[in-house]
Parts: sequence; C-alpha cells; structure tokens
Amino acid sequence: MSAALRRHGWSYLFVLPTFSLFVVFTLLPVAQGLVLSLQDARVTGGSFIGLANFATLADDPVFRQALGNTVLYATVVVAAQVTLALVVASLIQPLGAKSRVFYRALFYLPLVNSAILVAIVWRWIFNPNPFGLANATLGVVGLGPFLWIGSSDQALLAVILSAVLTIPGGGVVLYSAAMGSLPRELYEAADLEGAGPFAKWRHITVPLLRPTTLYLVVVYTILAFQIFERVYIMTNGGGPNNATITIVQLIYSTAFQFGRYGLASAMAVVLFVMAMVVAIAQFRSLRTDVEY
Amino acid sequence: MERDVIISRRRFLGSLAAVGVVVACGQTAAPSPSASGSASAAPATAKPVSIEWWRRNYTPGSQNAETVASDAAVKGWKERNPNFTITIQGGPFGPETDQKFDIAILQQKAGPDVFHTTGGDVLKYAAAGQLSEPPLTDAERRDFNPSALQATTYKGKVVAYPLWIVPWFEYINLDLFKEAGVTPPKDGNWTYDEFFAAAKKLTIKRSNGKQAYGFAHANDEFAFMLIDGGRPYDKDVKTWTFNSADAVSGLEKWVALAQAKVMPPDFLTLNPNDAQARFLSGDIAILQRPSAMINVLNADKNWEFGKNWDIANFPRAKGDQTAWGGVGFIAVREQQDADKKAAAHQFAKYLTGPDIGPDLKKQTPPVEYWLAPAGRTSAAGIYGDYHPAKAKVAKMGAFTYVLPNVSTWSEIDQKYMRPARDAALEGKKTPKQALDEVTPAAQRLLDEANK
Repeated sequence: MSAALRRHGWSYLFVLPTFSLFVVFTLLPVAQGLVLSLQDARVTGGSFIGLANFATLADDPVFRQALGNTVLYATVVVAAQVTLALVVASLIQPLGAKSRVFYRALFYLPLVNSAILVAIVWRWIFNPNPFGLANATLGVVGLGPFLWIGSSDQALLAVILSAVLTIPGGGVVLYSAAMGSLPRELYEAADLEGAGPFAKWRHITVPLLRPTTLYLVVVYTILAFQIFERVYIMTNGGGPNNATITIVQLIYSTAFQFGRYGLASAMAVVLFVMAMVVAIAQFRSLRTDVEY
Repeated sequence: MERDVIISRRRFLGSLAAVGVVVACGQTAAPSPSASGSASAAPATAKPVSIEWWRRNYTPGSQNAETVASDAAVKGWKERNPNFTITIQGGPFGPETDQKFDIAILQQKAGPDVFHTTGGDVLKYAAAGQLSEPPLTDAERRDFNPSALQATTYKGKVVAYPLWIVPWFEYINLDLFKEAGVTPPKDGNWTYDEFFAAAKKLTIKRSNGKQAYGFAHANDEFAFMLIDGGRPYDKDVKTWTFNSADAVSGLEKWVALAQAKVMPPDFLTLNPNDAQARFLSGDIAILQRPSAMINVLNADKNWEFGKNWDIANFPRAKGDQTAWGGVGFIAVREQQDADKKAAAHQFAKYLTGPDIGPDLKKQTPPVEYWLAPAGRTSAAGIYGDYHPAKAKVAKMGAFTYVLPNVSTWSEIDQKYMRPARDAALEGKKTPKQALDEVTPAAQRLLDEANK
C-alpha cells in the first residue's frame, strides 16, 4: 500500500456515497445505453443486431435533418451566448460592488424560471399571427408579418433567436466572478503603458478568461446539443416539415412514441460521441497554461 | 514520496467540463423481455374481489369529464355488484402515462386489471400476450360496430372491448357565419365546394378589428385525404395506399385551403388546445375537432348551442360521406388470478355495454358517461340523448372511417406523413410528389407491423 493511500485512504470513504450515486445513476445508464444501441430493443425485449441501428441512422433522412439542425443550432447559439455573456459581464465589471451584485442577480434570476414556461412565452413571441409579439413589434416599423414558427423556412431561425436573445445568466455570473479575481498588476502595468479600456479588455481580460471560456463553451455546447423543450413547446416537436427537429427530440419520439429503444439509444450514442469529439476539440483549441 | 495536488481553477473548470461530457448523453428507458400469457376468461365470481382500473386523464377530486364519469361508473357498478371493490388509477394523456402503462403491463406484468387503451397499444399488448381475450357471445359480437371490432382484432382474435368511436367533424361559429353573411350548411351537410366557399367568405376582419379565419384543424388527423375516397391502406391492411389518385386529390383540396389563406398563419403548428382556444375566442369560424369539445362549449356560458355554435359533418366530395375517426378500447390484462380476471371482464363489459349509460343518468346529479358515441349498437342511443349536438354526432358513426390498428402508425404519421403533408401545404412539393416520397417508408413500416 503506497504512502499516499495510507495517508488519504480514509478520505475515499467520504467520496464513496457521491461516487456510488454517480456510478448507479450516470455511468451504468450510459453503459446500458451503449448496450441497447446494439440491440433491436423494444418494450417487449430485444436481440443483438450489432451496428444495424447505426446503419439505419445513416440511411435515415429525418435523422440527418435532426443532426444538421442540432449542429447549426449549437454552433450559432454557443457562439452567441458565450460572446453575449462575456460582453455583458465586461459591461458590469467596472460598476460599483452593489451594482455588480444587482446586475448579476438580475441576469441570473430568469434561470430559475421553468424552461417550459420560457418556451411558451417564446412560442407567443414568434407566433405568426398579428398578436405575436415579434410581428406586433416589427409591424410598428413596417416590417413583416413573418411566419416564424409557422413556416419551415423560418421556424429554426425562430428557435435559434429565442436562445440567442436570452442573456445567459450563468455565463455572466461565471465571467463576472472570474474577472473579479484577475490580477490587478497587469492592468496597472497596462495603464502605465497607456493602454485604453478596449486594449486592456482585448489583450488582458479575454486571454486570462480562457479557462472560463473553455468551460462555458464545453457546457453550452453540450446543453445546445441537448436542445429539446424549446423545440417541443415552440414548434410542437419538430415544426412544419420537420424544420426544427433535433436529435434529442427525435430520440424522445423514437423511444417513447415509436417504442424503438435500441434505435433511440443509437442516436444517444451518436450524440455522446459528437459531444465528446467537440469537447476534445474545444479543449485542444482553447486550453492554456495561463495561471494567475 | 508524497505530492500535494494543487487544483487550479483552470483544472477545476476543465474537470467540470469533462464530467459534463460524460453525463451529456443518458440512456433511454431499458426494456426487458416479457413472456406471453394465455387468453381466456374464467367464469364470473360473486365472492368479494378487488380490481384496479387504469384510466387516462383520471385525476381524483377534479371535475374533468373522465374523472367524473369514471367515479360515477364505479358507483354504478358497485350498486349492481356490492362485492366488488374497484380502485381507479389515473395519469394525464401523453407519453408519460403511456410509459407507465408499458412498464407495468409489458415489463412488470402487473398493474391494471382493466384499463383504457388506444389503437396502437392494443396491438402492442396483444403481441406481448398481455391481453385477456374478451369472452363475447355471438350476439355481443354482432352488437359491436364491425369496424371498431376489426380495429381490436389481433391475429384473428378480438383482444379488447371497443368502447367508443370518436369522429372528427366541424364546429361552426354561428356568430361569425352571420357576420360574414354565410348560411350554415343545411342539416350539417355540405359539399367541399360549399365548404371552401364558406371558408373563404368567413376569412374576414371582424367588426372588433380582429382577424377571423374560415377554417382550422389541430394537426392530428388526415380527414381531407379521405374526402375523395382515399384510404391509408387497402382492405387487408397490407398495402399502403395513401398515395392513390384519390388520396392525392384529397390532399390537393387541403392544399387549396392553405393557398386561399383561409387558415390562420400558424395552422401547421396549431395543437388541439390552441385550436380550441382560438375557436372559443372567436378567431375561427369552422374548426375540425372530435366530440370532446362539445362538453367544453357546453360548460362555457358564452356559448349556446344553436344560438352561436353548431356542428356540421365533414364536407363531402367525390367519395361517400366520411369522417376521420378513432376508437377507444377497454382491455383486460392477462393474469393468473382467475377471480380478478373474471371480475375485470365483467366490469369491462359493463363499461362498454348498454347498462352503464342509463345507470349514470339515474344518479344524482345525472352523469354523462359516454364522451363519444358507443362502439356497441345497444349502448349507442343514450349518447344522442345527452345533448342535441351529440344527437347529431351519434349519427356519424355510420360513415366514420375508423383508422385500422397498425402498431407502427404513430411512426408513419409523425415521422413521414405529417412532414409530407406540411411540404405540400406549404407549396414546397406537389401533393403527388409528397405522398409518393412517403410511400416506401410507410410500406416498410406497414410490413413491419404485419410481421
């Protein structure tokens, strides 16, 4: 037994309850999902079919559409949300302590709202009728009316806009907290050299926030890949002509409405691999040795 | 040698992100194999017995129609059979409750002794050997609507009791008809051309400034594709035929409504609740919905039958008068306990038979049991007695097209038919092109269901 184990062995006891829950409720289900993806699993049972489910997915135009929609949604929404969080946090940072706390709370509070309620509100905002808020507002300046969620050409745009136009409170709080702990010496040095506010933000703040940015990009990407309730509520689960169908929406339909658990699990595996590949790519491109 | 580990914020955030990736994709529910059971009913028993009835949309203490009727049904049955104890379990309409049924019946082989179910589920449970075959006499068989009985037949055997046939028809806002100067259809009958002309005239800016639309539906049926005689399957339910010339011309008639802009702009995403709300707020002149909405209108003091609302048949075109319809069933779960099974069958017969309607009507206050026309001729009359609108609906069973039970229908419907219909209605594809494109996938799923 190594010295480290002798010294810290007892501490594993404290980790054990949480680790057990993680294994039982996270790792095992993921493993079971992997097994199911290799089966023709239905409610009544299933048999091993190898990679046939993945071949079915490759040939399925609806899955390809869901994949494309999910990637497009994630790309636009993650880029927009991370940028928005950074900009809003940067605008809050120079304010006084009380104001910073107020704005952090202000931007974070909407997160406690039910995602379903939020989606219902967005459904009303992008309703194609004149009573839809977007059409009513744009109508004032002579634009529209637009069909929004009522059209296969605009429904995905409406869903994306609903996410982009929501200030990501969690990101704002994280960035704001991270900015608060950045070393002041660097800014003082920059001041001495005559750097302006934008130059300091661009060359000091943003680079030093890369660990936070990496975390947010990875987490927001995973969340974006899992987009479901917005699509389900705003566009009745796929929109006109499947225009807004996403992978998780299709997993839900395939498992719980069509009873094809094996196929749905194969989709979940594809999503898992996508999330992992993207996360690894993000780790590689955004990692930094900056310590402060 | 020992080394203290310092976790920097960067590493901590990185670790969090890595854990996020691991938990990103969970599994879907895991099914387990199930065994088949035999299918026969034991003779009825008079000794005390307790059974469990599972009913969708039953919420203890609420005043929704399903809850009120279910409680009254148990009361009615207890008066006839004091030795029976019946417990009702509910759950909202939707996949959560469907899954609860599936897990109980297919995996745990437990749960309800008797339960309400719908088309696809009947076949699913029958295929798993979990339904006990109803012990019907020849007279009882003849008493059921043949297409409803056909819809509950699995491999030549009737596996559940048809409860009711639910037709989709037109609710009409008489105030809007009057405002637009349109005469309502005489005796509720109209041709497609008359219907189309009315819908166009009814699409108006109302005197209160609100835009009204001539027609709306709730995206849960394909009635227009039946209008010229098109049907989803051939008689044997072996071949997909919803790309026939008749089905295509039916879809063309539907497309014409979209092109004429007589439907609200969000018609492709209208769900039943929204559609109903829009009718109630006076935005829709003609709404295609099933019979449950009659009670909603009756409960609303702003709506008075014959004064500002009425019902009409689905319009007629090249084909015979028709309507889109679904069937509700009562099923008895296969189980070892012969007494419970026999009691469940007795109760199921009561729930679908001619006695329950009058029993509940005699209660104080009287309760309407039938939420749609009964699937049995001997039980059908009372539905029409409840309300003049229901009297009209009661006559629709004769021409309602009951969608045959195909276990893969929901997949055909949601994954292929609705997008194809949407593409046609949006003008992105011709009706023929849209329906032809669906056919290979629909036929494959039909073949799979027939295996």
